[in-house]
Amino acid sequence: MALAEICGLSDAPFMKANSFSTDDAGIELFKLSGNMEDPFSLAVPPFANPCEHLAELQATGENSGIKMNFDHGTTTLGFKFKGGVILAVDSRATGGQFIGSQTMKKIVEINQYMLGTLAGGAADCVYWDRVLSKECRLHELRNKERISVAAASKIMANIAHEYKGMGLSMGMMLAGYDKRGPALYYVDSEGTRTPGNVFSVGSGSIFAFGVLDSGYKWDLSDEEAQELGRRAIYHATFRDAFSGGIVRVYHITPQGWVNISNQDCVDLHYKYQAQKEAAKH
Amino acid sequence: MISAENFPEYNVPGVVKHDFHPYESNGGSVVAIAGDDYAVIAADTRLSSGYSIHTRKQNKLFKLSGTTVLGSTGCWCDTLALTSLISARMKMYHYLHQKVMPTNAISQMLSIIMYHKRFFPYYVSNILAGLDADGKGVVYSYDPIGHCELASYRAGGSAGALLQPVLDNQIGLKNQENVAKDPIPKEKAISVIVDTFISAAERDIYTGDGVIINVITKDGIETRNVSLRKD
Amino acid sequence: MFLTRSEYDRGVNTFSPEGRLFQVEYAIEAIKLGSTAIGIRTPGGVVLAVEKRITSPLMEPTTVEKIVEVDRHIGCATSGLMADARTLIDRARVECQNHWFNYNEPMSIESCAQAVSSLAIGFSDSSDGGSAMSRPFGVAILFAGIENGAPELWHMDPSGTYMKFLAKAIGSGSEGAQQNLQDNYSPDMTVDDAVELALNTLKQVMEEKLNSTNVEVMKITPEKLFEMYPKTEVEAVISKLQQ
Repeated sequence: MALAEICGLSDAPFMKANSFSTDDAGIELFKLSGNMEDPFSLAVPPFANPCEHLAELQATGENSGIKMNFDHGTTTLGFKFKGGVILAVDSRATGGQFIGSQTMKKIVEINQYMLGTLAGGAADCVYWDRVLSKECRLHELRNKERISVAAASKIMANIAHEYKGMGLSMGMMLAGYDKRGPALYYVDSEGTRTPGNVFSVGSGSIFAFGVLDSGYKWDLSDEEAQELGRRAIYHATFRDAFSGGIVRVYHITPQGWVNISNQDCVDLHYKYQAQKEAAKH
Repeated sequence: MISAENFPEYNVPGVVKHDFHPYESNGGSVVAIAGDDYAVIAADTRLSSGYSIHTRKQNKLFKLSGTTVLGSTGCWCDTLALTSLISARMKMYHYLHQKVMPTNAISQMLSIIMYHKRFFPYYVSNILAGLDADGKGVVYSYDPIGHCELASYRAGGSAGALLQPVLDNQIGLKNQENVAKDPIPKEKAISVIVDTFISAAERDIYTGDGVIINVITKDGIETRNVSLRKD
Repeated sequence: MFLTRSEYDRGVNTFSPEGRLFQVEYAIEAIKLGSTAIGIRTPGGVVLAVEKRITSPLMEPTTVEKIVEVDRHIGCATSGLMADARTLIDRARVECQNHWFNYNEPMSIESCAQAVSSLAIGFSDSSDGGSAMSRPFGVAILFAGIENGAPELWHMDPSGTYMKFLAKAIGSGSEGAQQNLQDNYSPDMTVDDAVELALNTLKQVMEEKLNSTNVEVMKITPEKLFEMYPKTEVEAVISKLQQ
């Protein structure tokens, strides 16, 4: 026993007589779901460097049949123009090569004037967007003024930076209309935060950019801008296997955001096909 | 992670290296369909590990409230840890807010609780079925770290990828032209579910033995049992 | 009586031999120095009206905030120490947002009052921790809210006790105001009737002459939830009262 004491073993947290008292059970319960009290308090994994080792665990699963695939989202785009901000996204969520959902909502409504798009880990994006919504709402109540997109994106970038290296996977755009006018920011899990006029994020972004860049100019009319977003996402779903489902288009104006359309890729495909045929004659 | 390579003095011939394998797949499938005034959720009853079957009578459906049932498969110990945490949290909600937790609230809480273990996830495939505040059937499906999606039908677990396409065809009527998308009657939903499990038992080694079906309506939760192949 | 009192009113955690906690009772007394606030529940919504004491013409009246939005479905009127009120209101807001975050539903009014109450009674004069308040909060709060489409009015005092009311007055004019509410309250009032009754009651108990800068009015209805009454509308009701 003396040796145990010298080694500090008697103070070890395991195998304590009172481990199962009701008091400890209460503490245990809060430990197991601490993020219900504070969204930032997530459980620490029982290994170092979760980014690498969780990926390792997932990889060994390929042999043992324990496949733990998280839902991933893909093509999203956003651009500013004279009439506000356009956001357009697909709706396919893939877990590995399995299409987990064809109807996922990749635009998160943070408030009446701000939207977030999500690409990368679906759970990561949705969870932290929810945290952001909460913070934005509290800001609004405390300051009697809506939060600016710049400030909101900074909150998100701070969260991303806090968890940098832990393996979060997020590539999101925050778009909105505040007192400084239309705003569009790109934030990702590496901690990047940058304002800009045209962004596309996700595996299908290279295809979306091709369409977007060829048709983009500041002076687009509202209809032209909405159609450009729609078309760019459609072409991305056509070429990128990880994108597909429904093409959703949102337009943010000084009066808040409007959901312009939610169209199935199949319908868009035949619509554009018909336009092509008509142009030939 | 600490590995034998970092300790050359232990790196002698004959040493057995053990990696960290905290997870096990105990198999099993869950299917749920939501209708206008009901929700049906079913899970098979086989619990296995590797190629051996532990039991043929394991219920994988957890009645969380009078209108909500959770179907959970994957690593069975994670399922047990998660469901007992959920039921403790639901009791706390009940005592604090003096009402039974509605399905919508459970679906959100489940997502938050699962994300808590973002860096060491519960290895589970969850499907939640129940009635919403208006009495309409709802189904929520989850990925291992709590991404939640509302759906009207869903298959998950070891035969999830096998069963989902059947549901897309029979219930979702996906990519079919000139079909009337009528509401699905309750008995039709149940019979489709039974058929999908019979098919799954034919092709998935981790699904079989029997199916437990919970039919959730405003009158309560009715349980039905159907036998599957035992081989 | 006063002498026996003073022996037991130094610490917040010492009962008097008669079983009273004087510091808490004194905190309740502090509310009676505060400005008057009135809440009235009707089947169509809840109305809150408060008096604002404009102590100097050089003061900016809009910075006196006695009615605040806690969430879209809950509004609060406070009376007593405003600095204490801010702490409690912020807790109410955070709890409401957390509830939404965890359960994707609006928090019930009673749960919100309960959450604020547990902060309000978390005082002690012991030095451990240091995070707790060392005295009771000198604030009374009226919670007006909509729960499942039904209007509710709750009142909480510095002891942390919270109760549901049909109509309640707090603050310096509360005794006269409560009597007036009891005499004139009817269960089938409309929201507009309630605004009139609230302002009429304030008019009777306020020392200053009632005008649109020294009162604040809010209504919360199942349709539109939290809404402050604009100055012009308050003026319209006041001129109607004067006729």
